[in-house]
Amino acid sequence: MTGYIIRRMVALFFVMLMVSIIVFVLMNAVPGGPFSLGERGYTPDAMANLERKYGLDKPLLERYWNFLSGALRLDFGYSFAVAGNPPVTDVILRTWPVTLHVGIYTIVLSFGLGSLMGIVAAYRRNSWLDNAVTFTATLGITLPNFIIATFFLLIFGFQNGWGQDPRKWIIPPLSPDSLPLLSWDYFLPVLTYALAPLALVARYTRSSVSDALSADYVRTARAKGLSHRAIMFRHVLRNALIPMVTVLLPQIPNLLTGSLFIEVVYGIPGLGKFFVTSIFNRDYPMIMGLVLLIAFFWGLTYLLTDILYTLIDPRIRITGRGSA
Amino acid sequence: MYRKLSVLLLMLSVVLWVSVIAVPMIGAQDANQDIYGRDLPEDAAPYDMQVWTQLCDSTRQETSLSSVVTVYQRICGDAHIFDKFGDSLVDLDENLNLIPGAAESWEPSEDGASWTFKLRPGQVWSDGTPLTAADYVASYRFMVDPANAYDFVWMWQGTIRGWSEAVAGEITPEEMGMEAVDDLTLVVHTDGPRPYLPGTLYFWPPLQAKALAELGPNYVLDPATSVSSGPFILTEFEAGNRVVVQANPTYNGYRKPFLSELRGIYGDQLNGSFLAFQNGDVDRVNYVHISPADFEVVAADPVLSANYRPNFGDFRTDYLFFDTYNPPFDNQQVRLAFAKALDRESIVANVIGSQFGIPAYSFLAPGFPASDTEGALKPIQAYDCDAAKALLAEAGYPDGAGFPAQELKLRGESESRANWFIAAAASISDCLNVEITVNNMEFSAFMESILARPTTLQFGAVSYGMDYLDPSNMLGVWVSTGRHSWLNAEFDQLVQDANVLVGDPAARLAMYQEAERILVEDVGGIFLVHRIQGDLFQPFIAGECFRPDAQGVSALHWGNDWCWGSFYITNGVMDADTYRNR
Repeated sequence: MTGYIIRRMVALFFVMLMVSIIVFVLMNAVPGGPFSLGERGYTPDAMANLERKYGLDKPLLERYWNFLSGALRLDFGYSFAVAGNPPVTDVILRTWPVTLHVGIYTIVLSFGLGSLMGIVAAYRRNSWLDNAVTFTATLGITLPNFIIATFFLLIFGFQNGWGQDPRKWIIPPLSPDSLPLLSWDYFLPVLTYALAPLALVARYTRSSVSDALSADYVRTARAKGLSHRAIMFRHVLRNALIPMVTVLLPQIPNLLTGSLFIEVVYGIPGLGKFFVTSIFNRDYPMIMGLVLLIAFFWGLTYLLTDILYTLIDPRIRITGRGSA
Repeated sequence: MYRKLSVLLLMLSVVLWVSVIAVPMIGAQDANQDIYGRDLPEDAAPYDMQVWTQLCDSTRQETSLSSVVTVYQRICGDAHIFDKFGDSLVDLDENLNLIPGAAESWEPSEDGASWTFKLRPGQVWSDGTPLTAADYVASYRFMVDPANAYDFVWMWQGTIRGWSEAVAGEITPEEMGMEAVDDLTLVVHTDGPRPYLPGTLYFWPPLQAKALAELGPNYVLDPATSVSSGPFILTEFEAGNRVVVQANPTYNGYRKPFLSELRGIYGDQLNGSFLAFQNGDVDRVNYVHISPADFEVVAADPVLSANYRPNFGDFRTDYLFFDTYNPPFDNQQVRLAFAKALDRESIVANVIGSQFGIPAYSFLAPGFPASDTEGALKPIQAYDCDAAKALLAEAGYPDGAGFPAQELKLRGESESRANWFIAAAASISDCLNVEITVNNMEFSAFMESILARPTTLQFGAVSYGMDYLDPSNMLGVWVSTGRHSWLNAEFDQLVQDANVLVGDPAARLAMYQEAERILVEDVGGIFLVHRIQGDLFQPFIAGECFRPDAQGVSALHWGNDWCWGSFYITNGVMDADTYRNR
């Protein structure tokens, strides 16, 4: 197992290398640049000064090499677009905890409640409970979260002023400098953010559990006179977990790296917005830092998924080079 | 005995009561006075409620609180939080006349090639250092220094002597034409007579020379190192989350604030501003953050509509433009056909809304110096579909036959603004029977296309508003070295000559008027609408700022930085549900 993990980590390193090359080339190929701002643009001298200041006057290959040698030391350079031009690593370290708080609560809510809803729906197939879960899941999947966020703001923040301090629903006072472990300030962002993954979890759980419930081994277990609990935990859930892990685990990197809509609508000073704004602002160092961060997360998630398979299903064994 | 005791007890009780009442008042802030000891206006709320909050944009590219460091990336850019740590040399009154700022007077030399500014004596930084002309010189040298790659250097290219050369690195910043003759005297040398020079110095409160040298320009971002010679001083700053400035107790300039604090909080500025305003979380919303649906709410509400204050803003005009160096728009008849096919009156009435714009038939908006106030230019591009068809036919495209399909490119416009240009394209297309699609490009990509030489943008739409109140600025975008691919030698010459003409303001304006006539006749652009801008204020915001201007307009006008010394919160706030009293 250890050897397998090491091989996968080495492979992940090369994946990240390829990702960095592709993204570096693409972002430099896109029309416009970090300084194509303003009404009148820049004079050639001013543009030359800007490019020199930010190292954009060097050949692409040299710039990539500079980036790579820095990145190996976790130094992604200085942001073009954040106040004071701080190092990208500082921006990530400062803002990511805010996003992580929201993301972890979202995972707990969506995976916890979603799987519970899915199991109940599978057990009560075609009942009103099943219909209610299906309806909720469909709603969660089809409604974009920026629509939900706006409605929540209107309902809770403005019209009803729910809570002691209605202001918090419009401008939550979350801050990297004062980040409570638990706070009502997380409520609306987490609820909004959780609806789509909750719907997905509920749907897949229902489908997987339903399939398992109709399987021959469950009929056999019932014929053997096993209790409902034993059938559920030993046979149904364990077998239902494999497709769920395959589909649902990759949701986690997305949830832990935040969402532009959630963070902008609720005024959360997190990392998620930078995934979009740094592209529009052509903040090259930030783009590279974030892309590598998320590539690392995705790679790690797939590794974790493969390892989980072996724990869930005894038929799956990591036996040799590249096999799982 | 008892009488003496009674007198003693009486005296003791008097002393006790006096102590109880007086001691807490020693050193306390009077609720009705500001930190300068001035009485607040009669109808003002207590001083602890003199707080002003605005919403800032979570998605913007923002790097500094000082215009000396950046113009395009100012923090809380349209919420007036930046640049409060000093005074510009000059300011603008409500009629957009130059008034003294940090400088109490200024005058040109006899030959017009240099300007001398006299600073008000006694101005001081919050650390006790006197504000001197050297602070201004250091700030301008910082801007011109190629190592700092300042983003607004174009402002003084061809204006301040040696500016362009210093930007290009051919001379040192110290050789640029600005010098501190003594602590209170600043001299600016220009590339010849530049009558508009004082107006270009409006934007730039200085950085402190000492802090700049010791700590670099980011000293303004840290409350521990930030110093101020302006009305406010930085007390909190979290990038992308919160910025707070408070009244600067050491300020002795011309705009001492009644407001105790300005706050910028971050959120969804585009979609959340009006909601936050309705919720009492912010005190002002700019018109660009009020959607058409929001405006319906404003119009239907007598309180809101009474507190929506339209203004001229930066005299912004939205227009269509061409690559006139290549077919089909190298033909003036084609351009004029397009111009005459644009039904501005209908678009303003039905799409834009007459409260938000005036149909434009020329570039300079009414009220701007040298603008066409008489409407003499209107007939040139006025809507006349039959004439437009005839012109296009003469140009070789009868009934649009053979005319290449066009794509009208936009500069990352909002949905509502994009609709203006979609309507413009439809008007031209319907009249001339030519195919026009609209492509709302990403901002940076658009700017790169428009500025490329040769341009990669054949047909586009954009807006422009002034940087300073002089036709040299607005018409400067149309000279052949400006941002458009249109060349008219006569226009270029007129603008160039007018820019340096001193001693005869009337003749100078007439030259600009003639230049604009050429622009309209030669159809460098098709002018769609002069925007009417505005701000929505909470009803308890008051101040001398809202005194009517010469046109009777009562608003926060562009460039009226003195207003921040006049705004205050009235006691009407007591009855409102706002962040102050929750």
